Amino acid sequence: MALEGVEFTVREGEIAGLIGANGAGKTTLFSVITGFHSPTDGSIRFKGQDITGRKPHDICRRGLVRTFQVVRPFPRMTVLRNVAIGKLFGKECLHDQKRAEHEAYEILEFVGLAHKAEIPASGLTIADRKRLEVARALAAGPELLLLDEVLAGLTPAETTEAMTLVREINQRLGITIFMVEHVMKAVVGLCDRVMALHYGCKIAEGTPQEIAQDPAVIEAYLGEELEI
Amino acid sequence: MSVALDVLMWVALTESWIILSGYTGYISLGHAAFFGIGAYFMAMTWPKLPFLLGVLAGGVVSSVFALVIGLMVFRVRGPYFVILTLGLTEFILHVVINTEIKLGGTVGRILMSAPSLTTLYHTMLAAAAVAVVTAYLVKNSRFGAGLFSLKEDEEAASALGVNAAFHKRWAYVISAFFPGVVGAIMALRHSYIDPYNAFDPMVSFQVIVMAFLGGMEDVEGALLGAVLLTLVSEALWARYPYYYMIIIGVIMIVTVKFMPLGLTAPLKGRLLARSVGGGADSA
Amino acid sequence: MTMDWTPVLQVILTGLIIGGIYALIAVGLNMIYGTMRLLNIAHGEIIMLGAYVTFWLYTLYGISPLVSVFIVMGLAALVGAVVCRWIFFPVISASKSVAVLESNSLLIFYGLSIIFTNTASLLWTTDARGYSYLTHVVHILGVPLMTNRLWAIGLSFSVCVFFYVLLQKTMLGKAIRALIQERDASLLVGVNPDLIYYFSFAISFALAGLAGCLLSMFYEITPFMGMPYTITAFIVIVLGGLGNVLGSLIGGILLGLVETVGVSLTSPGWRPILTYSLFILIIVLRPRGIFGKGVY
Repeated sequence: MALEGVEFTVREGEIAGLIGANGAGKTTLFSVITGFHSPTDGSIRFKGQDITGRKPHDICRRGLVRTFQVVRPFPRMTVLRNVAIGKLFGKECLHDQKRAEHEAYEILEFVGLAHKAEIPASGLTIADRKRLEVARALAAGPELLLLDEVLAGLTPAETTEAMTLVREINQRLGITIFMVEHVMKAVVGLCDRVMALHYGCKIAEGTPQEIAQDPAVIEAYLGEELEI
Repeated sequence: MSVALDVLMWVALTESWIILSGYTGYISLGHAAFFGIGAYFMAMTWPKLPFLLGVLAGGVVSSVFALVIGLMVFRVRGPYFVILTLGLTEFILHVVINTEIKLGGTVGRILMSAPSLTTLYHTMLAAAAVAVVTAYLVKNSRFGAGLFSLKEDEEAASALGVNAAFHKRWAYVISAFFPGVVGAIMALRHSYIDPYNAFDPMVSFQVIVMAFLGGMEDVEGALLGAVLLTLVSEALWARYPYYYMIIIGVIMIVTVKFMPLGLTAPLKGRLLARSVGGGADSA
Repeated sequence: MTMDWTPVLQVILTGLIIGGIYALIAVGLNMIYGTMRLLNIAHGEIIMLGAYVTFWLYTLYGISPLVSVFIVMGLAALVGAVVCRWIFFPVISASKSVAVLESNSLLIFYGLSIIFTNTASLLWTTDARGYSYLTHVVHILGVPLMTNRLWAIGLSFSVCVFFYVLLQKTMLGKAIRALIQERDASLLVGVNPDLIYYFSFAISFALAGLAGCLLSMFYEITPFMGMPYTITAFIVIVLGGLGNVLGSLIGGILLGLVETVGVSLTSPGWRPILTYSLFILIIVLRPRGIFGKGVY
């Protein structure tokens, strides 16, 4: 999916949203930001520095961490080890494995997975895998966290829990969030500002309320159900 | 002692192989290349360089070579990596053959006044011990945690800050050191080398079989696999080489079919069950 | 004075003969890779067995290699189906991930390879064997050529073309291509993979057997002749793209031409170096093959 002329700024401390129909280029945008694809043109700036074309691990260590839409836990590692990898190689780059696991455990407590710390990640339910994906990203020490559809596929109860978690990450940990989301309830409930993409182009930007009434957005979404 | 020397050689080769291929899942068929490089380094410098220095330098040269080609081979993964490492070994083999023919007109080299078998044995013992310890230390280090995360999911690992290129390249360098050392020792052991026995792809394959019997990423398993297979080979190889090879082939197929986690897995399972809460393998 | 084109034609024809056989070998290898993602490093050993069977049928019973072609292909297809059924079905269902299947299949094929090589050594010794058949020389555009090579080029090309048409036109061929190109989707729309796996193994082994049959008419036969062909076939399928069957057809012919032209310009000792550097360059620079349509 190609992107064309997308310009957007995430402000420190906010929760920004990214919406768009399937194939609008949301995940591609995340991949470009985090160094998995290099843009042919244009630039990505983070905290005033140009990070265009840098390698994913480098971008992560600068404090810009992503999750994956299809979650990718390390299946044969325990939940705790999964999170410890973030502590060992992310922004903090801990060299003491004991300490990394200790701090990883604290993160698991924060996201509510501590009771499953010792089981292999392959044994988790979908909802727990999503928690793990977020926990791992938190362990890497993000200042800006890119969440790629962490709410998709959850039951209504799980969605509410996950929304609370996202809000806590933003407010208690002070982490800026940029999230791709299909669940409109979450976008309206969480985001300060939203950008809408359509076929790789930005079609609107504003508060969730403005976006919901934007004619271009409504037109782009025609034919596709808005999820509640 | 000659049997013990062989056992130690395969232990060193297998333990070093798992550091890259066992821990990251990049199956290399190129261990023979490093063995050959070590052997040829020894052949060209013996007896000008003192024995131990030559052996160490053989390992270093082999590591440096890994560092250089590491820039290139890790651009691909999966089956491409497997056949690229195999192709590289064959490429080096033929370059050596052509160079040797140009230089001396023949392909073989004879090495005179080799050190005693005891000296070779002790050197090999040291190499094997260091290989086992290295494999163990790497596995339990932060670096090793990075390698294992690559094996699980390379992209997810880099999204968490793991420098994939760095990890793979240095695991390759460490892994290549030991076959270089072993090759240098074995060149003197046989006191004759030619490109075909120095760069024998069988070495690469046999190492995989041994590592596989041991469960691929397991330090003790690799040790066990190497010792077992070498002993079987020593018992049969000299008298019934073809039968031995056929048996090895059958063992390989049967093991994969019925024990896909390696020969030592059931053994380990039993041990784990016995020790209470015996620290589940974190990797 | 006109230039004598005969040497050039000679090189091209030789290149086409060996290239046609490379194509046969590589198309077979690529079938199994494309449909099942398995790299058969025992492929060359099937060639070796095909060559031995042809040799014995000719020397013991006087059966013409041109008749043996059918016997060998049938036998090889049978072996392929058996290997598929008895070894690979259980292993595929037991392997939890692609990476595990990859290393497992590598070991199994290597196991098969050493079983075949050593059984052949045990039964028929390691002496090089050969026979002469159809050595009558004909002239094609002024180039002298033995009849057996003419048969080789004719058979390998027509079988390749036949196979290509089969893939393009028949239902089975379409199902195979679907499985190669859109694996998950085709499984969803009801392509039965088991049947295709059987077919891939049978066809792949039959093509290797045929190649062995043809090679036996003009090269020496030894138990160890297989491995170089396996490696060559790897080179070809990387050239043409893993999983790209038409790519390996063109790649095979191309490699045959490059090798013979290269050797005629340098010396035979350089042939492997030339081949392997080409291989390394392509795998590093264009890992999806020169046609860029490989499946990974």
